[in-house]
Amino acid sequence: MMYFPEEVLEHVFDFLSSHRDRNAASLVCKSWFKVERWSRHKVFIGNCYAITPERLIKRFPKVRSLSLKGKPHFADFNLVPHEWGGFVLPWIEAMAKSYPGLEELRLKRMVVSDESLELLSRAFPNFKALVLVSCEGFTTDGLASIAANCRFLRELDLQENDVDDHRGHWLCRFPDSCTSLVSLNFACLKGEVNLGALERLVARCPNLRSLRLNRSVPAEILCKILVKAPQLMDLGAGSCILVPRSDSFTKLTSAFLNCASVKSLSGFWEVTPRCLPAVYPICSKLTSLNLSYAPAIQGNDLIKLIRHCQKLQRLWVLDCIGDKGLAVVASTCKELQELRVFPSDPYVGGNAGVTEEGLVSVSIGCPKLHSLLYFCQQMTNAALTTVAKNCPRFTRFRLCILDPKRPDHMTSQPLDEGFGAIVQSCKDLRRLSLSGLLTDQVFLYIGMYAERLEMLSIAFAGDSDKGMLYVLNGCKNLRKLEIRDCPFGDDALLTDVGKYETMRSLWMSSCDVTIRGCKVLAEKMPRLNVEIINDKDLIEETPDDNQKVEKMYVYRTLDGPRKDAPEFVWTM
Amino acid sequence: MGRPSNSSSSSIDSSSHPSLSSASSLCKRDLSTDLRLGLSISTSQPQHSSNSRDQPADWPPIKPLLRSTLAENGNHRQHQATFFVKVYMEGVPIGRKLDLFAHDSYEGLIRTLGCMFRTTVLCSDFAQASSSNSHVLTYEDKEGDWMMVGDVPWEMFLTTVKRLKITRADKC
Repeated sequence: MMYFPEEVLEHVFDFLSSHRDRNAASLVCKSWFKVERWSRHKVFIGNCYAITPERLIKRFPKVRSLSLKGKPHFADFNLVPHEWGGFVLPWIEAMAKSYPGLEELRLKRMVVSDESLELLSRAFPNFKALVLVSCEGFTTDGLASIAANCRFLRELDLQENDVDDHRGHWLCRFPDSCTSLVSLNFACLKGEVNLGALERLVARCPNLRSLRLNRSVPAEILCKILVKAPQLMDLGAGSCILVPRSDSFTKLTSAFLNCASVKSLSGFWEVTPRCLPAVYPICSKLTSLNLSYAPAIQGNDLIKLIRHCQKLQRLWVLDCIGDKGLAVVASTCKELQELRVFPSDPYVGGNAGVTEEGLVSVSIGCPKLHSLLYFCQQMTNAALTTVAKNCPRFTRFRLCILDPKRPDHMTSQPLDEGFGAIVQSCKDLRRLSLSGLLTDQVFLYIGMYAERLEMLSIAFAGDSDKGMLYVLNGCKNLRKLEIRDCPFGDDALLTDVGKYETMRSLWMSSCDVTIRGCKVLAEKMPRLNVEIINDKDLIEETPDDNQKVEKMYVYRTLDGPRKDAPEFVWTM
Repeated sequence: MGRPSNSSSSSIDSSSHPSLSSASSLCKRDLSTDLRLGLSISTSQPQHSSNSRDQPADWPPIKPLLRSTLAENGNHRQHQATFFVKVYMEGVPIGRKLDLFAHDSYEGLIRTLGCMFRTTVLCSDFAQASSSNSHVLTYEDKEGDWMMVGDVPWEMFLTTVKRLKITRADKC
């Protein structure tokens, strides 16, 4: 074996950017392990309860960038009580002592208090980037600490958080000396911001590339901002209520004309659809368009806009685009890679948004499509089979039929064959969500063909334990499995308990798993946390072992049951 | 930066987050799934919902921010700007008023005017040899000139039109 000086090894490892590659390198030998751990600056932890902060710090002493995820994915859909956990404070407290050089923190689905943000802003003099996605627990006071104390802040990115807005002029807390901002996203905030402070901040940050405004920023201010920051590449408009023939409209149009670099557009929380032509000047360069929060923009206006966007790679829209609009997407957006169509009327049997026809058109017209999230009223096996044939390159395929057990609307058959075609054809499929009427057969197909599958979401599907077993036996690369309202019970859960140590987590709610099943699993697998999440109002003192478990969350961990579990969460 | 957010699966991509009140199911365990969804039978106990249709708060699987945005949109009408202009037909002393913002294109406008004035109205797209029982649509622009409708793109037309007039075809 050739021996390299550690500096050389470290330099070589610098070229390994993916966590998996670095993890693999650290397993080669003790010397590589040592060099790798001392030179690792970026760590990603997919489940904050898989290890403690102390263990992280012990292994990687020089971390500058940490990404952490907290609550399970189904927390996004109100299936996890708020106080379940995922607190970031212990992490920040531990890092404050050991990582003085921390520069970046990215959190998803975690509880972040104002106290945590205050500590974060004071403990790390070099702090540069804070990204909070789907987090909660903080107010604009916490943001004010970040603004005031992080002297070299480059990125403050708030995506879809629940923030208690105290309207405390947090934006004004950025000192005049702050000129380093590259990315600022406060689109999810509900309250007003000081518009003058915003304009001045934008004017003094020449490197600002990404700016996403919230609903309180009116079109006139957007116009002034665009004039001051024509170098913007990513823009989230706030409110765009304008009178079309007015001076404001003309000014906004010419401001957009001057923005030669905008590639990504989103927002439009409120908008006068007839003002959308102001945006046309930048459409031909757009690669990313997200209008999923703009229900005011209906089918025709949407279609007219999209006709100008020939370079789109990513499109997120509401289903008011209709099958007709998707046909326009198919003929216009030949570079499309990712499509998300959200329901504008989330009620079962509500207004028909899109059907299988729209999906088929896009599959024909957009050969590069590989990532899909599609909410629709109906689907057929034939359509899915056609889509599978046209787009064999899907890596993410998430289909949600709004009526949970709806069969193929032409043949009344389950949709097993359609999804079967998808998994058979798309050999690189990493993420799959199923819906509609489905029997155990679809899981047989998934187990047989979905070799690269890493994440599977199942709801209202299957007939028996066999379904779940097909998946657990077949999908060798499965990392996350989340199941709700399926007839899978203890037999399925306990047949291959070792499997769960190869996965990040398993979620099962409203299934047939019992308390006894959970106890047995916990006993056999000490390195798993088997959590039962009870209904806060309905906890019984001595539950019967035969009782079915409403919500179970199982995850591998090196550090045993967590100490911050609330009383309605039982770790078996 | 300008990098699009929500990129690969190994980074933190956007997701929703729970902001509504806890989804505690009031249903007993022996009720079927359909009941829990409140889909078919009225004796079900639906979860907390923000609307009269008793939609459960955990289906469909959309994020709370989207759910609340859609609910707000449904609850109050969108504020739309209007643009009423006067329309006169030659030979008729009393004019009408028409909201130009209620139309998307010249076709819609012509159709509405045709109904309003009970005649065939032509504009430059369709101008044929003059006929005694059809009319042509003209407009006064910002500079005070009278022009035939239809020559410029619809959006540009909206920015310069001040009023409309339907004149007899043989006068154009």
